[in-house]
Amino acid sequence: MSGRARARARGIAHSSFRATEVGRTQDSSLPTSVDLSNSEATSSSGFMGTSRISTNHKYGISSCDAGSTFMERGVKNKQDFMDLDISTREKLAHVRDCKTGSSGIPVKLVTNLFNLDFPQDWQLYQYHVTYLPDLASRRLRIALLYSHSKLSDKAKAFDGAMLFLSQKLEEKVTELSSETQRGETVKMTITLKRELPSSSPICIQVFNIIFRKILKKLSMYQIGRNFYNPSEPMEIPQHKLSLWPGFAISVSYFESKLLFGADVSYKVLRNETVLEFMTALCHRTGLSCFTQTCEKQLIGLIVLTRYNNRTYRIDDIDWSVRPTHTFQKRDGTEITYVDYYKQQYDIIISDLNQPILVSLLKKKRNDDSGAWLAHLIPELCFLTGLTEQATSDFQLMKAVAEKTRLTPLGRQQRLARLVDNLQRNTNARFELETWGLHFGSQISLTGRVVPSEKILMQDHICQPVSAADWSKDIRTCKSLSAQSLNTWLILCSDRTEYVANSFLNCLRKVGDSMGFNVDYPKIIKVQENPAAFVRAVQHHVDPDVQLVMCILPSNQKTYYDSIKKYLTLDCPVPSQCVLARTLNKQGMMMSIATKIAMQMTCKLGGELWAVEIPLKSLMVVGIDVCKDALSKDVMVVGCVASVNPGITRWFSRCILQRTTTDVADCLKVFMTGALNKWYKYNHDLPARIIVYRAGVGDGQLKTLIEYEVPQLLISVAESSSNASLRLSVIVVRKKCMPRFFTEMNRTVQNPPLGTIVDSEATRHKWYDFYLISQVAGRGTVSPTYYNVIYDDNSLKPDHMQRLTFKLCHLYYNWPGLISVPAPCQYAHKLTFLVAQSIHKEPSLELANFLFYL
Amino acid sequence: VEEICNSVVDGNFEEVPRETVIKFKPPLYRQRYQFVKNLVEQHEPKKVADLGCGDTSLLRLLKVNPCIEFLVGVDINEDKLRWRGDTLAPLMGDYLKPRDLNLTITLYHGSVVERDSRLLGFDLITCIELIEHLDSGDLARFPEVVFGYLSPSMIVISTPNSEFNPLFPSVTLRDSDHKFEWTRMEFQTWALYVANRYDYSVEFTGVGEPPAGAENVGYCTQIGIFRKNGGKAMESCVSEQHDQHVYKAVFTTSYPSLQQERFFKLVLVNEVSQQVESLRVSHLPRQKKQDGEWDDTPKDSQASSPCFGPVFTEVEKAKIENSPKPFCVGDKFFVPLQRLLAYPKLNRLCANEEMMRSGIADSIPLSSDGSAVVADLRDYSDEQF
Repeated sequence: MSGRARARARGIAHSSFRATEVGRTQDSSLPTSVDLSNSEATSSSGFMGTSRISTNHKYGISSCDAGSTFMERGVKNKQDFMDLDISTREKLAHVRDCKTGSSGIPVKLVTNLFNLDFPQDWQLYQYHVTYLPDLASRRLRIALLYSHSKLSDKAKAFDGAMLFLSQKLEEKVTELSSETQRGETVKMTITLKRELPSSSPICIQVFNIIFRKILKKLSMYQIGRNFYNPSEPMEIPQHKLSLWPGFAISVSYFESKLLFGADVSYKVLRNETVLEFMTALCHRTGLSCFTQTCEKQLIGLIVLTRYNNRTYRIDDIDWSVRPTHTFQKRDGTEITYVDYYKQQYDIIISDLNQPILVSLLKKKRNDDSGAWLAHLIPELCFLTGLTEQATSDFQLMKAVAEKTRLTPLGRQQRLARLVDNLQRNTNARFELETWGLHFGSQISLTGRVVPSEKILMQDHICQPVSAADWSKDIRTCKSLSAQSLNTWLILCSDRTEYVANSFLNCLRKVGDSMGFNVDYPKIIKVQENPAAFVRAVQHHVDPDVQLVMCILPSNQKTYYDSIKKYLTLDCPVPSQCVLARTLNKQGMMMSIATKIAMQMTCKLGGELWAVEIPLKSLMVVGIDVCKDALSKDVMVVGCVASVNPGITRWFSRCILQRTTTDVADCLKVFMTGALNKWYKYNHDLPARIIVYRAGVGDGQLKTLIEYEVPQLLISVAESSSNASLRLSVIVVRKKCMPRFFTEMNRTVQNPPLGTIVDSEATRHKWYDFYLISQVAGRGTVSPTYYNVIYDDNSLKPDHMQRLTFKLCHLYYNWPGLISVPAPCQYAHKLTFLVAQSIHKEPSLELANFLFYL
Repeated sequence: VEEICNSVVDGNFEEVPRETVIKFKPPLYRQRYQFVKNLVEQHEPKKVADLGCGDTSLLRLLKVNPCIEFLVGVDINEDKLRWRGDTLAPLMGDYLKPRDLNLTITLYHGSVVERDSRLLGFDLITCIELIEHLDSGDLARFPEVVFGYLSPSMIVISTPNSEFNPLFPSVTLRDSDHKFEWTRMEFQTWALYVANRYDYSVEFTGVGEPPAGAENVGYCTQIGIFRKNGGKAMESCVSEQHDQHVYKAVFTTSYPSLQQERFFKLVLVNEVSQQVESLRVSHLPRQKKQDGEWDDTPKDSQASSPCFGPVFTEVEKAKIENSPKPFCVGDKFFVPLQRLLAYPKLNRLCANEEMMRSGIADSIPLSSDGSAVVADLRDYSDEQF
């Protein structure tokens, strides 16, 4: 796909995919034989909205020490709680008492959150259990405790050392004794450590464990943190996918109370074994480059072995080994793979020519024996999750979206069914009751719909009919400013010359009405291969060339990557890639030309439209972070800052970093550059800076507050002699648990655009709000979550919310509202381009242009 | 609480301290399970129950066997059943690649000396290291329930051989809960009496070979295999029995299988799609790539490249060759269902064309007469490689 087409695909994806969350099993190690009855393993699994195609949400997960906390395996969980422990609001004097806005029309909203009722004096009792003689086996420790009659009828959660009860034992220290099967008498000493109120973080962890246990009782299958119903799969045979419907659930402390949240989630499973994938690939590529392509495609993927339900990462493929070869078992005996699988799992390997996949296993605890290799048979390994290639496959994602899209009503019905099950199922109810809990009502709350914005064009102010898409409203209006395009190139092949010419005519026509003058370019014909394109670019681009347009014959990534690489690194010139097939679409030419003309205007430094910004000297900054596609340990940090009071011109930098903590350091480099740029254009420094930080993973809030915010403050302080420059930092998240619906005419619908929620579903310790700034055509909209972690601008919450809403209007790649503030989306586009195609810092000569659109 | 049943883990522990003297490889408990597993493979029982199933390890080992359709575990330790039950539930792979036959696994809490009609009509009942935990009263009732009432086609009973015990250091009984341990003579006498009484024939064997020089003590674990004379349990009498549900069902799970329409269709549609796709791709004229960057691997490397995919026997090959060939009309690609049926994997799933048609009709486009699958000859995904 060309950059253009890809961008288009995502443009559409914005509206349609956002509604669904699609599971992805990368990084997810499935809970295998869980030997702890109450605290089931909750392994981290990256579930991400498909709309965030590249943004990598999760990094820097440190391995935690075994046994340091209860449930040490719930890595992701723990990090969530780490975030929730941080209190930022108390430091912000202007919102300490009230963080709610006031403007807009109130709107009644239903949520996917539910009350959890328990007695006022409900407490959780945390005990510590010691054994005499000490028992090493956790399993045995648990077995002994569980089988003791003293505890048998009590609700309990126990991990081998820490015991939680909802009822207090009579004594502070209880001595029990039990006998092992060997006849040894073991003394267990249960000592009360703490009494925890229901709002304590540990208590919330225990609640989550209780609910996991309950959902399992509803015959749901746990994957990562979510629960799925495998008996009702949906199929997408053309893409070899199965979808399991299910729920993401969590119990958490919100503004004033503990709530249970559930959201519909789908697990995407692949009905394809590695062997089938290899065979198909072999057919396609031919043998000559098969091994190479195969390794490129497979290495790094996570596979699921069907016989034991484990997941492994493919680290290598051993082409020299066959299933008929032998390997050494742990006990030293030699056995062939074929015999091993027959004996162990009753599985007959049918293809004896397949190679063996190699997976490097992580070192076990207290095991210094070094790395351990697992050999896997491709035939027995299922591919999991969606590959990068699959997520950028528009057809596939469309098929998934179509299957998983749920209207607000559909979603509400699913929730109702879950709640009904929870309340009816006797096992589930019994479990809740023994803990003294009662599942309560669905939470309703009042949001506000803020007024819609006017779009400012060059000589016209327009009030769009729909803020979702004002392309029609501005069709006859001139852009705010546009450079004339005089010297430029079009590269195309013989085959596409005709279509290139007719496209050019269209482009000139639409450019004219937009106030964008497009002169005739030099048309260069090249052979249909990536190398020829790059050679032609190298040969023809000189310092006078303003823009290079390439009509790409196919969506082979090499075309796009090699052209972009050359024109952002070696010879910085804005470029526009268009897929020939896009131009062949009948009857679409004018609208395609309009979109491309708009993009070209921006790439040359033009401005399309603006909204009214009441603050006169405000710089807004967007920051996003993602992993480089080639070297996964490299972080791509993209930063974008507005450089004029109208917020229509942008300065950008993209910096590659080795570790996450270095992110803070690049921010300093960037901020200094941005402030210099602002000074150059405005002969003064901005009075206020508001930073929107996206790409924040779970558990990173602390790092942000301790490292990034200070770095931003230092760079601001260093640049300005007077200390009047004020800074706010807002964390932007597209993924959050709450969903909101409006009830209308006995059905539920998506809330109107501009709906703000700043009560009940928010967190007490934070200055936060939800904003719905995008449309979800046929699906359910997911709100964007904003958490103001630092703020000495002291804007009223109402102003902060409305400013954020205004900024969602300013993304020039889409004539309509988008789900995040424009600087975030620009930063995202920039990091995506660099992470996917360029892999290096783009030339600073392009920093003033939106070259990454 | 009376402890009737022993379990694997405990069985495992039981051997640990003696490892210094006699070490079994694989461990004795594994040998016992492997013995049962081999027996299952040999006789292919449909309904199998393990009495005194403990932590369900044996059931977990047996559930992979394709012939078993009902698997039941009974134990008096309810906590343990609840606790381990989850591990018997279907895995993700079981949904992705369903079994051929249905499988239901149920765990009951109850005592082996109580009658429960849900255990009637079984093909195999195993009592591994169970009887030595029964006190004399229960031991007396045991044959009447298991042989007389349940009366399965085959019963396997294992118990320690006390003649082996002198090889262990200072041991009277191998487990504190054992009520007795028998010599071979004692066990065989009991077994023959029971077999005779309930019309079974019995054969003796064991696992855990004695060490060299002590061969005369016999196997460490002695096993009796009881076969009902006159073959299979009379199913007719099963229905005549009054339903007697004494046991408490603690856990039950059903596996997805090809016998269930939903999963049958899923597998069929996937297989058909895959086969059509592979035929389609091989039908495409191999695109010559002009780009030097892409095709510079030397041609002779092909020889060493792996070549895989399904391997057919000569008979299968001929069958495929003789079936109607895929064809193109315009940019549409047709694969006759008869052709698809010729492939062993699909043939295994569908007996005939009609079965295939009805299985895939909802999901895969068919030609107007329904005799062939239709696909676009050129697919957007072709360009991606």
